[in-house]
Formats: sequence, C-alpha cells, structure tokens
Amino acid sequence: MAMSDGGGSSVQVSGVSKQYASEQGTVQALADVNFQVDSGELVCIVGPSGCGKTTLFRILAGLEPATRGEVTLNGSVVTEPTPNMGIVFQEYHLFPWRTVRGNIAFGLEKAVGLDGTDRDQRVQQLVDLVGLAGFEDSYPKSLSGGMKQRVALARALAIDPALLLMDEPFGAVDAQTRERLQAELLDIWQETGKTILFVTHDVEEAVTLADRVVVMGRDPGQIREIVSVDLDRPRSRGDAAFGSYSEKIRSLIEN
Amino acid sequence: MATDVQQEHAPTTNDGELPVLGIDRRRAGLGTVGLAGFIGVWWLAALFQPAYVLPSPAVVAEAAVAEFASGEVLIALGQSIQHWIPGTIIGTTLGVAAGVALGWSSLLDDISSPVVRTLRPVPPLALIGFAIAWFGINHAGAAFIIAIGAFWINFYASYGGVEGVSDDLLDVARSLGVDSDLALIKTVVIPAASPEIMTGIRTGIGRCWMLVVAAEIFGVPGIGRRILRASNNLQVDVVITYILVLSVMFLLVDTAYRAVQRRVLVWR
Repeated sequence: MAMSDGGGSSVQVSGVSKQYASEQGTVQALADVNFQVDSGELVCIVGPSGCGKTTLFRILAGLEPATRGEVTLNGSVVTEPTPNMGIVFQEYHLFPWRTVRGNIAFGLEKAVGLDGTDRDQRVQQLVDLVGLAGFEDSYPKSLSGGMKQRVALARALAIDPALLLMDEPFGAVDAQTRERLQAELLDIWQETGKTILFVTHDVEEAVTLADRVVVMGRDPGQIREIVSVDLDRPRSRGDAAFGSYSEKIRSLIEN
Repeated sequence: MATDVQQEHAPTTNDGELPVLGIDRRRAGLGTVGLAGFIGVWWLAALFQPAYVLPSPAVVAEAAVAEFASGEVLIALGQSIQHWIPGTIIGTTLGVAAGVALGWSSLLDDISSPVVRTLRPVPPLALIGFAIAWFGINHAGAAFIIAIGAFWINFYASYGGVEGVSDDLLDVARSLGVDSDLALIKTVVIPAASPEIMTGIRTGIGRCWMLVVAAEIFGVPGIGRRILRASNNLQVDVVITYILVLSVMFLLVDTAYRAVQRRVLVWR
C-alpha cells in the first residue's frame, strides 16, 4: 500500500472545558479534560450519552471551540477542520451527488491536488482497501449503511491524515456489520499505522478496538479513568479477561 | 467482504414520472381518454353557445389551420421567442446567483433583506412603465418583464435550497481541504442545492411562458399581442388557437427540461 507512514502523530488535549448557556443557566458539558494520544495509537473515548463525548469530538475536530483549554495535533493548536485530520461521522455524510469513486477522490482533488491517473490509482487502492471493488460507480443512495461507512472511511484516509477521528462510526449499522467493520478497521489500522481516536458509547466496541480507553462520566462530562487494554488482538468477547475489562469500564461509567 | 450490499436496482420512477425512454402505456391510455372526454364536453357545451362565447373544437381547428397556413402562428411564435429566451435566461441566471449568494452569506442577507422584502411583492406587470421607459416598446422591454418573473421564482428556490444544505457536509468538505467560501459554494453548496435550484428553474420556465402574454400588453408583437388583438375582435377561435400554441410550446420545453433534470439529478 502506498500510504505514507508518516501518518503517526500525537494529540494533546489540555484542560479542555466547555460551557453552554441554556435556559436553566450555564451547563458544564466538559470539565477539565486532559489526555494524550501517541503516534500510531488507537484510543477509544467511551461514555454514556450526555457525557459530552460528542462535544469533545467536535472540539477535537476543530468544529467548535473549547471554552477553556486547547487541543494540539503534532504541536499545532486545532482551531478549524484541517486535512491533517480525517473525520468520520456516524451518519456518514457522503456527498450524495458523487459516486463512491467521486466521494473518495474529493479530498485528493481539493487537499492533495492530485489528479489524472495518480488520483485514479490512489482511489482504486482505497476502494480495494475498504472492500468496495465493483461499486466504484454507485451513488450513495444505493449503498447499505455498512458500505456507506466504508466509503466515508476511505474518503477520510484518502488525504493521508495524521489522525483519524471517528464519532460512533459504526453506531448506525446492524450488529454483524458492526463486528465486521471493527475487524476491518483494525486491519486498516495495522496496515496504515494511523493514529486513531474513536468515540463510542459501546463498551465492548471500545475493549475490542482500543490500546487505551478514555472512560468518561457525566454531570459534568469529565474523564473518570484511562484504562489500558493489555490483550492480544484479535480479541474475543468470550474471554474472561475481555469480560473483566468490560465490567471495569462499565462500573467506572456508572459510578 | 461487502456482502451487506443492497439489491442494486434501476432507479424507479416513484413519483409517477414517465421513464426517460418509452411511455407508460396505461398512463398514456388513460390520458387519451381524459383528453377525449374534455374535448367532448367542450363540443357539447359549444352547441348551446354562440361562437363568440365558446366556439366548437371544429371551428377552432379551422381557425388554427388558417393561422398556420397564413404563417401568422410562426411569425408570432418567432417574435415571442425573441423576448422569452433572453428574459428567461437572464432572469434565471440572476435569480439563481442572487439566491445562492444571499442564502450562503448571512451578511449579504441581512443587508439586502429590507430591499428584497420591499421589491418582492411588486408584480412584474406593475413594472411595465419602467420597461417602456428603460427599454422601450420592444423585445428588450418585454424580456425585462419576463426576467423579473423568472428572477423571483429562482431567487427563492435557490435561497431555500442553499439554506437547507447540511452544515455537516460543509464540515466534511472543510476537513477535506476546501477552505474558501467560493470553493465551498462550487463543490458543496450548489451540488447539494441543485434539486431545489432545478425545480425553481422549471417553475420559472413555466411562469415565463405565462408572462409572455402579459409582457406583450403594451404593444410588443408576439403570441400575447395576437391573443389580445383577437380578443378585441371577439375572434375567440383565434384566441384559443394561440392559447393552444402556448400550451404546446410549454409542453415541449418542459418535457425537454425534465429529461435534462432527470439526467443531472440521477444521484437522487
């Protein structure tokens, strides 16, 4: 694969807080969130709904500002969406007027400035990487949820970002598809060496994927603990060790 | 891999539109029945009315043959087209451009909102005085009236379409390296709003055919002028002939436009 492996990077989240003004007064969505992600690491952020993980995702992606604190990617402060970061949303957000090929090529045309046969080759590599060969000319409307998410992933990977930032990317697909996508993501991660930050509410998903799990709780949204998952991959949900990690994280969330 | 593939199928014509090629026989059959029924009722009603109130279809057919034979129809059509085409194109272009610009930029929108709201309710026909003063009694004057009509329809359709473009798509595009407003408009906003924009253009085209008649009131030659003259002479059969000419022209243009629209919006 011709992915550059300079894809590793480190993310530093320092003292990030977020407050909203609402009718009931000020809401503290995030309180003093600190963690870092090392180059090539796969980190999951897990927490119940309302713990501010989507807010944290949006701040990480540069989609909204933090009230206090900052996020840096390889030393530079993130203030707006940047091609250094590939973003994958739960709802795919594919460009419906572009085919699979056109969606994947989008960032190559805009951010990388690649065109002609170089672009076509790169698109084909990515199509193969996410297993969509044969669907290059399909429009998103005729794809299933799992396929749409593969396109979104390939589109984000196309620009060879330093960090892949994913917000509940497999939350909208059925259970079997989700497990297959998780396995594929791990393959792609190992193949490309990307740094991945993955937001989910699914504890098992976090334990399946992550090197480390950032466990968040709510009221206010803050980190309860960061759990390192020392299990060989592929991980099996039936394992006793897997179960004890899940239980530990669940009890952290519920406390 | 990729076994969760939805059955790929040809795009269905779910809103009852005709397929691009080949005509739905059942619909065509029923349509013919409806048309025959309409003409039958017309004929029946005409039996009890003098021709200056309602001429029978046969009388209208005779008038149509005479008008075509004398070349009057083609002349009038040629004249109307000379202001219909520039009026429609200019009004549509400016309307889409203004709608996209104001739908995108809240600054421009805030600045122009009072002016837009003041001008919006002005009927194109109220501007005939300006058409004459600025352009004269000629094709340009009539095109002006037609363009005003096309402008507002396209302005609001495009404005609404752009307002409805999802912020998430814009975020994705930004994260993929599109950073200027102009580039975002070109790569995301216009394609995303194209269904609304294209529907607006279609509505505008229809409205412009109607305005052709109105725009010729002040003396510009064409089909509308011909209708007004025939009305004054109580030649109802001639009036109906030209109304039918307008209808057929509209039908042709609209059908051609819809074929283009379906092709452009094949991704929907």
